[in-house]
Amino acid sequence: MSPLLKIDDLAVDFIAKGRITRVVEGVSFTVNAGEAVGLVGESGSGKSLTSLAVLRLIPEPPGLIARGRIEFEGVDLLQLPRDVMPEIRGSKISMIFQEPMSSLNPVMTIGDQVGEAIKLHRRMSRSDRLARVVELLQMVGIPDAEARMGAYPHQFSGGMRQRVMIAMALACEPRLLIADEPTTALDVTIQAQVLDVMNKVRQDTGTAVLLISHDLSVIAEVCDRVVVMYAGRVVETGPVATIFDAPAHPYTDGLLRSIVRPGHEERRLYQIPGSVPPAGSIKAGCPFQPRCPRKIDRCAVDMPPMFDHGAGHGAACWVTAPVRTTEMEVQ
Amino acid sequence: MSLAVPTVPVVRSPNFLQTLFTGNLAVTAAGVVIMIMVLVAIFAPFLAPMDPLTQSVFKINQYPSMEHWLGTDQFGRDVLSRLIFGSRNSLIVGLVSPVIAAVIGTILGVVAGYYGGIVDRLLTRLNDAMLSFPELLLAIMIASVLGGGFWNVVGVIAVAFIPGFARVARASTLSVVQEPYVEAAVAVGLSSPRIIIRHVLPNIAAPIMVLLTLWVASAIRLEASLSFLGLGTQPPAASWGNIIRDALSNIFGSPWPIIGAGLLITVVVLSFNVMGDALRDALDPETQS
Repeated sequence: MSPLLKIDDLAVDFIAKGRITRVVEGVSFTVNAGEAVGLVGESGSGKSLTSLAVLRLIPEPPGLIARGRIEFEGVDLLQLPRDVMPEIRGSKISMIFQEPMSSLNPVMTIGDQVGEAIKLHRRMSRSDRLARVVELLQMVGIPDAEARMGAYPHQFSGGMRQRVMIAMALACEPRLLIADEPTTALDVTIQAQVLDVMNKVRQDTGTAVLLISHDLSVIAEVCDRVVVMYAGRVVETGPVATIFDAPAHPYTDGLLRSIVRPGHEERRLYQIPGSVPPAGSIKAGCPFQPRCPRKIDRCAVDMPPMFDHGAGHGAACWVTAPVRTTEMEVQ
Repeated sequence: MSLAVPTVPVVRSPNFLQTLFTGNLAVTAAGVVIMIMVLVAIFAPFLAPMDPLTQSVFKINQYPSMEHWLGTDQFGRDVLSRLIFGSRNSLIVGLVSPVIAAVIGTILGVVAGYYGGIVDRLLTRLNDAMLSFPELLLAIMIASVLGGGFWNVVGVIAVAFIPGFARVARASTLSVVQEPYVEAAVAVGLSSPRIIIRHVLPNIAAPIMVLLTLWVASAIRLEASLSFLGLGTQPPAASWGNIIRDALSNIFGSPWPIIGAGLLITVVVLSFNVMGDALRDALDPETQS
């Protein structure tokens, strides 16, 4: 079966003051129907841009998709005429944004906002639509949904608003839900609730999820597979369990070692030395090489390709590359 | 006392008019004043005790009396009747021109702010050029080219007010467009016109409404100024502005027209300002109880 979403060799440039900066380089990964894939990386690693590119929401200019294919249900979205995209947005692919506090229109009622996508994409009578909105709000766990449809966003808490956002995104039963840091702005307890809602929704509707986060524990909660990005490139990809148990890229390893683990509280947390290089500053070699504790001479010269570690696990690192291996064809 | 049962608070959006008037005496009073003035303007011929244009040499500069409640002016015309008829011109100018200006100015401002780029730059420069003239001066310039006449004055005042609305609309649009909910609306697949109508306009409505009510007051004043300068309502027809002008040269003979018209302008302008504030609060869901 062909994957639901297939990103192939995606490159995104930003043009500012006549200078072109490459911010996403050669990103490839897939999301299968009904699957949950996590996209992890630090700020500035290009994970949000990659997701925005899928919906073609990168502002152009200054942004520019320089290369690559984004196949959704076998159609390359980048080749579609611009005016066709609104039909896909919110209908087949929808998106949840980071700030639940400001992602809702303050002067529109909750019910109107959830119903907006339905009104736009589906032929439905008013009463059917309202019934559907109630159903959606109940699905994401809003109590007394019928009465709360007439409420305004400011009457809701952050967690409730994020639930409303999820309801909005799911209004038209999309095949793919892109969630960009959906829990980052929330309290930890509310985070867990929202993640539960996402898990439940996934089971109920079979929607594929592309979850973007810098928080590996959030990814572990929801996802089947992980794609780790660093400085605009995919550095490691594989099933969640494999990545957590045996990371093959020093960057992933560093990320995992900087998470608090129960029973190891006494140890000072690991911290990856240095910081993410500014976009476009890497000329040659592995982008992680300046911060890498295990670098060898070759790292500064050649960009490592994605090496196959078996069972869908791949990492772009010379050091950990299996002996006598071929480059992994990332599908 | 019974045990408190935990309930989910049921949220009901209160009726708009209810929100507007509840618990505020000043707003109610302002509403009543505006209502009365509009009725007076509509039913002027039935309410005015005399013909506003009839002159009489025998009745000039009279004090208020049972026959002439507010006295007479230097031509012996009944001041009360002139004020009642004058309310028509003043209120039409005061209401129609700001509304025209608000509609055109908001469209220009939203288009400039939403689409940006060269459209924005052209509109904004044009706007700045117009804003650099004081409204009154601009109105006088246009009026002297077009000539006086009532509807010309309405148009002139509207044009003079457009830049202010355009500027506020553009600035508000710029801030609304950056809101994540607009990005979310794009992600849901809404087209630009729909985003403007459903998301931008409702969110910039409050400042525009406030500006509108403030400028109702300004328009009445501006019409008074233009009439005073002889460019507005042409004599012998009455507006509050030209009643004041006519009476100024005769202020010691009969101060009643100035007192009457001045008071009316003040009260109406004040009422609209109070109304403007109340409207802004009522339009904002967060200030609703």
